[in-house]
Amino acid sequence: MLRAMRQAIEREAALPRQPRSAARERALFANFFRRELVTRYLGSATGLAWAIVHPLALLAVYYVVFTQVFRVASFATGSFLAFVAVALWPWLAAQEALQRGTVSLAGYAGLIRKAAFPHETIVHASVAATLALQFAGYVVVLAALRAIGEPVRLEGLLLAVPLWLVMAVAVTGLTLALASLQVFVRDVEHVLMPVLMMLMYLTPILYPLAIVPESLRPWVAANPFGWLVTRMRDALLEGRLAPQWGDAVALAVALALYALGLAMFRRLSPHFEDFV
Amino acid sequence: MSEAPALVALDGVGKDYAKLASTGGRLRVVADLLRGRAAASVFTALDGVGFAMRRGESLAVIGENGAGKSTLLKIVAGVVKPTRGSVAVNGRVAALLELGSGFHPEYTGYANIDLAAALLGMGAAEIASRREAIVEFADIGAHIHDPIKTYSSGMVVRLGFAIATAIAPDVLITDEVLAVGDESFQRKCVAWMEDYLGRGGTLLLCSHSMYHVQKLCAHALWLEHGRPRMYGAAADVAREYLAWHEVRSAKAGGPRRAHAGDYGVTALAVNPVGGGEEVDPARGFEIGVEVHSPDGRPPVVAVGVVRADGTPVYGTTSELGGAAPLRRADGTFAFALRFHDLPLLPGHYRVRAHAMDPEGMRLFDHHEAPFVVAGATRELGYCRLPHEWSSGGRGA
Repeated sequence: MLRAMRQAIEREAALPRQPRSAARERALFANFFRRELVTRYLGSATGLAWAIVHPLALLAVYYVVFTQVFRVASFATGSFLAFVAVALWPWLAAQEALQRGTVSLAGYAGLIRKAAFPHETIVHASVAATLALQFAGYVVVLAALRAIGEPVRLEGLLLAVPLWLVMAVAVTGLTLALASLQVFVRDVEHVLMPVLMMLMYLTPILYPLAIVPESLRPWVAANPFGWLVTRMRDALLEGRLAPQWGDAVALAVALALYALGLAMFRRLSPHFEDFV
Repeated sequence: MSEAPALVALDGVGKDYAKLASTGGRLRVVADLLRGRAAASVFTALDGVGFAMRRGESLAVIGENGAGKSTLLKIVAGVVKPTRGSVAVNGRVAALLELGSGFHPEYTGYANIDLAAALLGMGAAEIASRREAIVEFADIGAHIHDPIKTYSSGMVVRLGFAIATAIAPDVLITDEVLAVGDESFQRKCVAWMEDYLGRGGTLLLCSHSMYHVQKLCAHALWLEHGRPRMYGAAADVAREYLAWHEVRSAKAGGPRRAHAGDYGVTALAVNPVGGGEEVDPARGFEIGVEVHSPDGRPPVVAVGVVRADGTPVYGTTSELGGAAPLRRADGTFAFALRFHDLPLLPGHYRVRAHAMDPEGMRLFDHHEAPFVVAGATRELGYCRLPHEWSSGGRGA
């Protein structure tokens, strides 16, 4: 282990670098970030609208299916619409960030093969662009729900914003790991899709943790994303803003995920040029 | 006076690429890389390369396709991490690798200028002040507003070179860029590079053109199968490289018998009657060629004289000379070509013969025979042009 680390450090030292200034990374990040927004959403006529329409349409479908077809008993807060919307948006944001970020390196293959720069900037920009747009959509939808009289407390954003940031850190870490793996093994993106689909139903997004049978509840509760949406609901539906110990644990987990993801990414990124 | 520190220094640099067979192989590669292990099965693209370049020096990397030239340039540019050895680059590097520096195909030319600037850590103001100069140098008109993917390879190189000229690099790395683009743009590039070198710029070039190598670079490194074969003054390395090519192609296309169904040279001799390889220029010499014809029609033969380094001196064909060969009983045709006084200067030469079809259109095989023009002279060149000296002062 120690020897492997020492060798890694020696290899690191052997790598020629352009002066790696923070200014350069910022300039690159800004360039990629702008480009992501332009090509993905603003470039096509329906792009920006789609970022809002897609989750709204999903929300409408769930609303109809769960209140009109399945007739789920109303929950404590009373509104199924607000209950799902508050949790669905962060989930869809994380899912899209993971999926787009995982394949983001392929779009920059030419650059990776010909220019020397920290490759993680590409993944950072991809995840940041997706989450930024989805967060904007989230705020719009919360405001709209409030306007039509749904029980949404906008002051809950005081906690929701830091929660989104914690989520962003964790999602970036995961995406870094998946994106670096995707360069070598193209199956990652194909496996990711069904896994995310299954995870969504295992996460208390469409149902409260309380109605999960006792025997399964610890398993569902152990899902970090479940914790996140529960906290979102606390803040935005109940107005409980007081910090908890769990928040610190979540932040620590997110930072650890990021550190691990980045370490894996940096270990593999010198070899992207040959595989991407 | 202390010696200037090296701008680029490589020592014992090598690069292995993992060999891949299947998806399972890819997984194993990832596992090996994550554990910091060498891959099980590798292809060594580069090995044991070392050199140092000081400010104002220029180095050309030459070698056959697949010799590791591009890999070496990418290592110096920082795109590829070497498996072994150390690399130190102390300065701003601009690299034009395999058609254009790092361009994004979806971006417009303009957006790629900004991207290149960001890659180099330039501020927005710094690049804005140079954008006009870049657009002007690239000279691709309104295409600057189109995505790069719509560009021709020549246009990509134009833009890449224009950006490289604008960022005032400490080290400029170019990989065969001079091979693309039209004549006038090439001249513009060469002129810019000469000016850049004159101003103390440092150039690392990879080219198949020995002309460019010798014109632009003081030193050359010859790579063969990823290993350095020769390093030294550009003129020396270029000459050895060309000579090696000559020998190799002579071996490959040398005295082999043509296929039975083709026209082919069956015999080639200098001074076939009572001669040797030594030729007396005053007496001239004779070349005898026998050519096999598969269909009994009289073939055409092309005969030429080249210097030992392969430089052509003179060539002609039996068709141009209206020569009628002698038909032999075994179906071959014999030609004889006589050069009366030979204006060649003393030295080593070779005579080359190619069999051609009766229409003089297709070239078949290739035979060579060496000869030596005897004597000594202090004149320069290949041949003696008829001339006459006189006392000056006449006319003007």
